[in-house]
Amino acid sequence: MIQIQGIGNQTGKKFWRSLDELSNSPKFQNWVAQEFPEGAADVMDGKSRRKFLQVMAASMGLAGLTACRRPVEKILPYAKSVEGVVMGNSLHFATAMPFNGGAQGLVVESFDGRPIKIEGNTNHPESRGAAGTLAQASVLNLYDPDRSKEVLADGKPSTWDSFSKVAATLPADGEGVRVLSTLVNSPTLAGLRGQLASKMPKAKWVEYEAFTDDTLIEGSQIAFGDALRPQFDFKKANVVVALDFDFLELENRSLGWVKDFSARRKPAPVAAPASHHGAAADAHHAAPAAEAHHGAPAATEHAAAPPAAGEATPGMNRLYAIESNFTLTGVMADNRLRLKPSDVQNFVFDLARALGAITGLQILGQQDRWIKALAKDLQANRGKSIVLAGSRQPAVVHAVVALINQTLGNAGETVTYTKDVRRPVAALKELAGELNSGGVKALVILGGNPVYDAPVDLAFGDAVKKAPLSIHLGPEVNETGVIAKWHLPESHYLEAWGDVASNDGSISIVQPLIEPLFATKSAIEIVGFLLAGKWPKGFELVKAQSKLDEAGWRKALHDGLLAGTAGASVKGAADKTKVEAAVNNAPKTGGRIEVQFFPSHNLWDGRFANNAWLQEAPDPMSKLVWDNAAVMSPKTAKELQVEIIPDDVGMYAQKIIVEIGGQKVEAPVYVLPGHADNTVTLMCGYGRKEIGRVGRGIGYNAFAVRPSTGLGFASANITKAPGTYYMVSTQEHHSQEGRPIVQEAPLAKYEKEPHFAKEEEEHVELFSLFQEHDYSKGNQWGMAIDLNACTGCNSCLIACQSENNIPVVGKEQVGKGREMHWIRLDRYFTGDEEDPQAVYQPMACQQCENAPCESVCPVAATVHSPEGLNDMAYNRCVGTRYCANNCPYKVRRFNYLNFHKDMDELTKMVQNPDVTVRMRGVMEKCNYCVQRIQEAKIKAKAEGRASGAAGPYKVGEFMTACQQTCAADAIVFGNINDPESKVSQLKKDHRNYALLHELNVKPRTTYLAKLRNPNPELA
Amino acid sequence: MAELTHAQEMKERLTPSLTTGHPTYHDVTEAVSIIAEVKTHRNWYIALAISTSITGILGLMLAYLVATGVGVWGNNSPVGWGWDITNFVFWIGIGHAGTLISAILFLFRQKWRTSINRFAEAMTLFAVACAGIYPAVHVGRPWRAYWLFPIPNEFLNMWQNFRSPLLWDVFAVSTYATVSALFWYVGLIPDLATFRDRAKTKGKQIAYGIASLGWRGSATHWKNYEKSYMILAGLSTPLVLSVHTIVSFDFAVSILPGWHTTIFPPYFVAGAIFSGFAMVVTLMVIARWIYKVEHLVTMTHLENMNKVILATGTIVGYAYATEFFTAWYSGNPYESYVFFVSRATGPYAWAYWSMISCNVISPQFFWFKKLRTSLPFMFVISIVVNIGMWFERFVIIATSLHRDYLPASWGYFRPSFVDILTFFGTFGLFITLFVFFTRFLPIIAISEVKGMMAQTHHEEHFLDEAVAASEGKQPVGVAH
Repeated sequence: MIQIQGIGNQTGKKFWRSLDELSNSPKFQNWVAQEFPEGAADVMDGKSRRKFLQVMAASMGLAGLTACRRPVEKILPYAKSVEGVVMGNSLHFATAMPFNGGAQGLVVESFDGRPIKIEGNTNHPESRGAAGTLAQASVLNLYDPDRSKEVLADGKPSTWDSFSKVAATLPADGEGVRVLSTLVNSPTLAGLRGQLASKMPKAKWVEYEAFTDDTLIEGSQIAFGDALRPQFDFKKANVVVALDFDFLELENRSLGWVKDFSARRKPAPVAAPASHHGAAADAHHAAPAAEAHHGAPAATEHAAAPPAAGEATPGMNRLYAIESNFTLTGVMADNRLRLKPSDVQNFVFDLARALGAITGLQILGQQDRWIKALAKDLQANRGKSIVLAGSRQPAVVHAVVALINQTLGNAGETVTYTKDVRRPVAALKELAGELNSGGVKALVILGGNPVYDAPVDLAFGDAVKKAPLSIHLGPEVNETGVIAKWHLPESHYLEAWGDVASNDGSISIVQPLIEPLFATKSAIEIVGFLLAGKWPKGFELVKAQSKLDEAGWRKALHDGLLAGTAGASVKGAADKTKVEAAVNNAPKTGGRIEVQFFPSHNLWDGRFANNAWLQEAPDPMSKLVWDNAAVMSPKTAKELQVEIIPDDVGMYAQKIIVEIGGQKVEAPVYVLPGHADNTVTLMCGYGRKEIGRVGRGIGYNAFAVRPSTGLGFASANITKAPGTYYMVSTQEHHSQEGRPIVQEAPLAKYEKEPHFAKEEEEHVELFSLFQEHDYSKGNQWGMAIDLNACTGCNSCLIACQSENNIPVVGKEQVGKGREMHWIRLDRYFTGDEEDPQAVYQPMACQQCENAPCESVCPVAATVHSPEGLNDMAYNRCVGTRYCANNCPYKVRRFNYLNFHKDMDELTKMVQNPDVTVRMRGVMEKCNYCVQRIQEAKIKAKAEGRASGAAGPYKVGEFMTACQQTCAADAIVFGNINDPESKVSQLKKDHRNYALLHELNVKPRTTYLAKLRNPNPELA
Repeated sequence: MAELTHAQEMKERLTPSLTTGHPTYHDVTEAVSIIAEVKTHRNWYIALAISTSITGILGLMLAYLVATGVGVWGNNSPVGWGWDITNFVFWIGIGHAGTLISAILFLFRQKWRTSINRFAEAMTLFAVACAGIYPAVHVGRPWRAYWLFPIPNEFLNMWQNFRSPLLWDVFAVSTYATVSALFWYVGLIPDLATFRDRAKTKGKQIAYGIASLGWRGSATHWKNYEKSYMILAGLSTPLVLSVHTIVSFDFAVSILPGWHTTIFPPYFVAGAIFSGFAMVVTLMVIARWIYKVEHLVTMTHLENMNKVILATGTIVGYAYATEFFTAWYSGNPYESYVFFVSRATGPYAWAYWSMISCNVISPQFFWFKKLRTSLPFMFVISIVVNIGMWFERFVIIATSLHRDYLPASWGYFRPSFVDILTFFGTFGLFITLFVFFTRFLPIIAISEVKGMMAQTHHEEHFLDEAVAASEGKQPVGVAH
């Protein structure tokens, strides 16, 4: 804190300005210390950008806390340089984020001791360099000024010491002690749980999370009589059938699925005979042009394209999606079937019957054609297909799916199994019963927010209140933290030691990058304390659990992985009779209108609700920000007489009341073409009541109607509610208007006319009156984006936001069309309104060689670099916005207001020091992460590497943030003058085309046209 | 009515009534000077109070804008320019009539310009003052707006980008403002001297004395005056065409469909004259009534201006049609979309059809002499035309921007209250300047009207003789 020098302490002649100063009263001290008069910072309005700014508003106390955190004796200049630390250079550390019962292996960039950027760990078998949106944005949670910072007893500040005394009073044998944790996927925590069970034999440990794949394990229990987890090898699969499973969503247990799947989206070299699918020959005349504007083929000059040399590619796979919501998987699908959630079960049974996996009559007559075609395709790809189902589907579906994979010979080929743990699904219900009957003396909740996200019929909040002692450990004082007697602040995974097992069982050490910012503890430390009665060090617990020697430990930390810990493959034999029995006993579910519960793409189960990056990341399908909606098809909306009135860039959505088993919630409607009829998808994670300033009052709470009997889906009553609700989205127009923007063709057409995308952009040769710049020498940066691989998951958007200090603007400003994302994912629908297809197109600055923005800037604030970058000189920009008007891609972003102005001191720590923070009135845009290019350049220069035609950089030495994190490897950046680089090779691909090529702007970013591989029998 | 002889008809045609009631030179001096000499009327204070209050709103809005950021307006992505540039082009366009009347009509010896040129030139200056506000404050960092001028400064340390039409615009508008001000001032000098000579208070004598630069009305003075006036008229003439041509380059040089059009320069110039004349008619109808100068600003003046409005309005209508034809004929899908879908039927169709009805349809009524000489009718039409011309700029800017190449980036523009009040406030500034102008300066060019009268009288004399001769009568002397 600022110390005010009192007048009395001065030497020499005393000058004073007021009597208060002269007397130097505490009141005066206080007055000087306060920058603003009382109440001046309280002027806020409801739903607005200001609200966000308010969150970022500097809190003096917090600034003080962060300053106090550092012990004084450590603030010394290095007398000798510390090994590995070069001031101003960043360091990278491997760690992992425990999530959703799995782990994302990460590498975190640390700058002067601050973790600032999260990327995937290339060594990790699941991440392989990619990171999901949530993992990347989680760094913002670390610096959340609304984090829980202190121990609370009955809502009042307390201390860890006071808590220690209370915790020591727990019954020694664990009588009436219940521990409720999130999914335990940490070996250390599992070990401690075992110790606790032996120390307190009467204590019970329950795990609960709102979204788990418990039904999958239940299904394996039916089929195999054992808890087995399927592991998929998408690289080997020619045909993939996703049953109500958005497996391309990044927040699943494995990012590797997306990696492997997208590797198989690349078509085989065109000259090779089309033999990878039995049906491909038929497709030549059966498959229609995907878009009306694909005119008559006239490509004789392109006819025979040379095959790619020496590359044995198995060709493009085929994806079937059977789903209710329109998901990322549905967008990618070659054939997609919209079904009500309860109909998926019957579909699976019928498919199993058609494949001969189980016996019985087919139920769904109308899906005959689909079932037959699908069965035929699967039969043709025995051992080379994958059938997989999502966790919303009941256990019996998973059991049948296991049997189908076995029947098709996929088991052991594309699908293998590892041992897993079965969690009793009813455990939380039992716990609620015990709490209500008064059998629980002490409830210890380790993380999570069960009061908010537990099934509504358990009335878990009321149950917790009945426990004489309730303790909640959590990163924020959430709904559970408010009800619990004791709230304990939980450490972020970037500031506490831990370990975690990923989907395939590989163990990573969760390595902290910073001392806890506040007096927080981790779950393992709490359990360690309950065991030992004194506070353990997380580091020691984790190290002891790993049983590694120093060298092994160091290697594990360095690699972010304990080598060889992946779970061994288990051979399981699915029991046909047991599965058939389960099928015959399967209860009939569903109703006229069904509601299904989705974890929100951005907030998951609500734990990220206070993360502004994620709140402002558009939902991949609806493009809504700062809200969730009840999603339904246009037909269902018409039947329910609900509509959306578009307004500016937002919309006034009709509100509906969703009623399930007597519980009601009011939600605004979003009409999504391609959604299944008579089905409503509710996005969970919104409508949090006890939360920080970002997430407060955002959206409605879908958990308020989620019953324990229908965690996946349930039949519901929908009635129209009076009134509308204002929602905003980042994209309002969903048709390409017949323009050749996303070039798309069926695989069969591509095989005949590999240059179909280039034909669209053909025009008279344009010439320049002036001598054009020679770009044939030196490094010439360029990008190629494979539209066939992009899943539209947003992870590039968050990567860019994190790397480039992109501000969040809030709902009101997005409503005005002022969102700042440098990369956006344009989503277009094609086909008819009820059952369309959708495509994604990542759109960032195209770095045009003839950049229209550059010529119109009066102050030369945007100029071209010799390496082909369209540079921004922020401090030269006066903000005429002419460049943005003249940009045909509309990728320039303008700081209409000072979006950084009131950023919290704590939140400022997340800023990347390599990137200028832009002030108001300045234009900004993507620059291919020029700071990374410069860093690599400096490094190359320092190492004295020779600069050849290809430049001194190794291929893949550095990547743009979006490219680095893309799980689908859709974005490729590099030196287009280097014939070795991947980008220069991709630019020679038949599918490569320049968007708006006819404008002669010569974009450096080009796109690889999208292909679909539909089953001709379903055309 | 008796049948007119050929000579009588000649007279009718050649001497349109540019003054009525045959005023003497003294009458003219009196009529104009008295406006500035009488005791300030109460109504003038009321007018000043209202207009300065509105200007005050402008000041508040600009202060709020500069303090907070362009975000207080409705501008967004993709509509980077909204009401700011719309209003800029609107005001610049208004100004054009003044220069046209004073310079081009002067060079073409159109005598009817004399009674209205002073007023029209003042309008030019005041409109340019209003217009000039926008480019300065529409930038994101107005305190750096001076970087648009090639002034050596320690921050930029380099030349501006001379390829940018916005920079051409800076030069064009600043040149235009300078030359217009000079031209206006030079024309004022003899009249200021008249005011000086009639001034009864010391303050006025000094003020007008300084402003009239020692004008004594000697033959040498008149010779130099006529020459410099001619030179300035010559300088202004290309500016009439160049300023709006260059303003149109802001759009035409871009690659945006709806902007990227070669027809823009003539189309913008015609539109500017169209709107400028309409504004002169609006102001003149009011001013000649308030200041009782109907005998100097006659129906002939107004009718001539209405004819110009009709002519330029038709040119503008033709330009609209040409845009559609080009969009269709080019086969460019983006261009066709802008005109046939976005403008004609899109979310801004209301603005587009307002523009068409105001600009193309409403001036056509001026084909009828009865309507073009009706004061109430021309007053309404002149206002309608200016509304239409404002919409034209809005349609060009906002509808082209809100839907361009990639549908995913499409948006919409809606003005904020700051947009609306700022525009409202510029009218306050415009009127305030006029209120001062009418109070302290000769609103009609006294010396020019007198010069025109002398000439007319000689012509009349000659014609009277001719008429008399044809009727076999002795010429009747004209009362001087």
